[in-house]
This record gives sequence, structure tokens and C-alpha cells, in this order.
Amino acid sequence: MTVLRRIIVNGLLAFLVCGSLYDITRDQEHWPFSQYPMFSGIWRATTFRWYRLVGVRDDGGEVVLDRARYIQPFDQSRLHLAFVQLALRSDADKAIHAAVANCLARYERQRTLGEHDGPPLRAMRLYLLEWHLDPEARNVDHPDGRQLVAEARNVRGYEVQ
Amino acid sequence: MKFSRSAIEAWNRFWFDPGPATRLGLARAVFCLVAFLFYLPHDFSEWATAAPFWMPIWLFDNLHLPVLSVTSLAAAQSIWKLSLALTGIGLFTRASNVVAAVLGTYLLGLPHNFGATQHYDTLVVFALWILAFSRAGDAYSLDALRRRAQHRRQRPTFDAEYSWPIRAMWVMTALMFFGAGTSKLRHSGIEWALSDNLQLLLVRAYYHVSDGDPLTSLGLTVARHAWLSRAIACGALALETLYLVTLFSRRLRPFVGIGGMFFFVGIRALMGPTFEPYLVCGLFLIPWHRAEAAVLRVLYNARSYAPHAAGDPTGAGHVPTAAASSSSVRSAAGH
Repeated sequence: MTVLRRIIVNGLLAFLVCGSLYDITRDQEHWPFSQYPMFSGIWRATTFRWYRLVGVRDDGGEVVLDRARYIQPFDQSRLHLAFVQLALRSDADKAIHAAVANCLARYERQRTLGEHDGPPLRAMRLYLLEWHLDPEARNVDHPDGRQLVAEARNVRGYEVQ
Repeated sequence: MKFSRSAIEAWNRFWFDPGPATRLGLARAVFCLVAFLFYLPHDFSEWATAAPFWMPIWLFDNLHLPVLSVTSLAAAQSIWKLSLALTGIGLFTRASNVVAAVLGTYLLGLPHNFGATQHYDTLVVFALWILAFSRAGDAYSLDALRRRAQHRRQRPTFDAEYSWPIRAMWVMTALMFFGAGTSKLRHSGIEWALSDNLQLLLVRAYYHVSDGDPLTSLGLTVARHAWLSRAIACGALALETLYLVTLFSRRLRPFVGIGGMFFFVGIRALMGPTFEPYLVCGLFLIPWHRAEAAVLRVLYNARSYAPHAAGDPTGAGHVPTAAASSSSVRSAAGH
């Protein structure tokens, strides 16, 4: 191993170790460095609220989009956290509506391409659902409360507005 | 002066103790080929259509990295997956490695710009960069075969070059566990393990709140027993916080390392989060050259006891060691 190689490798090692230790000691995140804060808080409440997209079929019935294939490339965790972030913005209403419309447009495009088996939707709604935790999770499909946050309509033949 | 000299010596001894080229070569091959198969079905191109959610993380913000178009992302991910496969088989290893690291950082980092930074792929990025700086293509690679066929100068079979990448993955894995453990202690203290916290988390996991649903209903069973939830939480916290011991204790390393793998399997089964990429990275840490030696020993013994070899006096009682079998395979593979 040449001296130059050893210098380069030592530089890389120092960067990786110091970058990781910096984020861990400062409780900060500079992806891919991280302090890995997942699940670090304490859950004490037996209720929780979660953003969930709901589709509106042509007959007016609602279909909960709680399967990842309907909200690709998002997943239920990232989508919820993204809406939490959008809700903190000064233009939250506008930003959230644009985001729901974006999800509807993508859902419909993926459906027409056969990438999922969901029904055609005339609208998509964003609800903030609330559950009281059931030890068997029997109420997963029947939340104890729900608040409509935004709705985007699908005008057939046109872009989603 | 004396202290700084001994610290430098300890640093050099830890990172640059000579090791076999086969260990790194096999780790590269297994890790990259499994990563290739794992990411093959992943499609990153849809992120190009999610503009209203764009909230860049510091890396993308500071480097002014944009979201590429659907077509460009599709092309980038194809090149990335190809580079992973090429690195796996060891063809144009150095160039493939660098491409895999650069594109991997962009593609794996991209989803984190859409509302939430998740942590399941950080080790993959570190592994790719560590490989990009290493000489991982010196053994078990098509490059090594080509080098031999062209009668070019052979690389050493035992060198410091082949140790530091493995050690770097040990350290980054240990720091990841340590960070997760200390985050829990910092934000919640020991209450994290001794309260109802894990019981509630386990039940909540069955409400479709994660990037993956739990693979089993065992989480609900565990959550019914407070003592069991707390025992598991204590075990998880202890494992995370004390994982650093693997860096210094050769004896404890395999037990803690296997414990870490079970930890991720347990999270996936009971809670849902998809930490599979960490399992892929775990493949990097397995001493494959020892598995190879064991397989060769079995093959050698089988051949020794075969009727046609019964009269071979040189084979009697001789079982290949890890080093011997490594070199025999090296010669077979063109080293």
C-alpha cells in the first residue's frame, strides 16, 4: 500500500467516522449521515392521527388507499410525514391541495397503464384519521374520527385540477 | 508524544492489518450481486412526477441536485443497476464501483427529498463509497482473470488494502446501531424500554402506518404481554447501544453481529419497516473466505475418500486451511 493510497484511505475513513460521530453527538441529520432517530420518542397516547388518502369512485363511494401500490412511489409513512411538513407551511392549503391533485393524477396514470388494480376515481380526498388503539387492531378500517383536509377532482379528459 | 504515537499505531493496526484479497473479493461479489437483485425491481423514475412534495435535504440542496425527468431517471437507474452487476462480477471493477457509488447516492437519496428522511439505505451508500475507494476487484473478479490472461503483474494476495474496507463496514454498522441507541436514550431515557412504549408502537404498526406492513401478527401477541414487550425493548436498546463492542471483541463479534441481523428481521416481522437493505449490507461483514474454506474442505475430503484417490499418499490426513484453500481457489480463478 503506497503512502499516497494510505493518505487517501485515511481521509475517507476520517470523513466517514467524523461525519457519523458529528451527527450522533449533535443530534442532527445530514443524509447519508444520521443520528438514526427512528422510534426514539416515547409513545404514551392510546390514540393517534394519521393522514390518509381516500379515493372517490364514480358512484360516489369512497375507497381507502391504504395499500402502497396505490400511492407509489410513496409509502404510508413517507406520505403522512410529507403532508405533516406541507401543513406547516404558510401556504399550507394551496400546497396540500396541489399535493393531493398530484397523487390523483399519478394514481390515474398508473391505473391506465395497468400498474395497479384500483378503481377509476373521480376525486381524491385527504383525511386526517384518528384511531383509539385496539389491542387487536380490529378498528383499522373504522377510524374513530376523521377530518377532511383537502379534495382534488378529476375532470375526465383534462388534467387534474 | 508517546501517546500520540501509540494512538497512530493503534489506528494503523486496526485499519491496516494485512488481510486476504479473497475475503474482500467475495464480500464485494456477494454484496453487489445481492444488492443488484434487491434493487432490480425498484423504480425510482416515479419521483420525477411528485414535484409538489419536493423538500430537498441538505445534500441535494447544497449540491443543487435537481429531480431528473422520468426518462433521465429511468436511464440513470438502469446504468446504476448495471454498474452494481458489473461490480458484482468484477468487470471494470473500479469504474463500475465509482458509477455505482455516485448514481447510488443520487438515486437512494432522492426519495428522502419528498417529505421524510428515512434510514434504511444509509449503509448501502457507505458500502458503495467504501468499495469505490478499495481494491475489491483484485480477487474473485473477471478483471483478475483478464489480468492473468494478459500476463500482467499480479496483485498481492495478502495486503492491508483488503482489510480496511471490511473494517470500515464494521465501524459504520456499529455507529449506525450506536446512533439509534443513543438517540433513544437522549430523547426518552431508559423509560423508552421500561414503559408501555413498545407495546403501543407494536399495536400502532398494524394500522398501515409504515413503509411496509408487519409480516406476521406476532407483534400483537407480544404487545399483549407487558413484560415481554419490555424485555424485547431492553434487549433492543442494549444491542444498539453496546454494538460498538463488536469493534474490539473478536469473541463477541459473531454473536452481536448475528443478533443485529435478527434485530432487523424482528422489526420487519413485528413492526413493518423495511430494513432489508441493512441485511444486504450485513452480507459484507460475513467472512465468506471461511465459508469457502469449509466448502473446499468438504470437497477435498470427498475427493480424498473417493476410490481413485485412495492410494494418494499426499492427500491422507491433509485438510485445507482457510489460507491454503484461498490460495488454491485463487490459482483456479486466475490469481
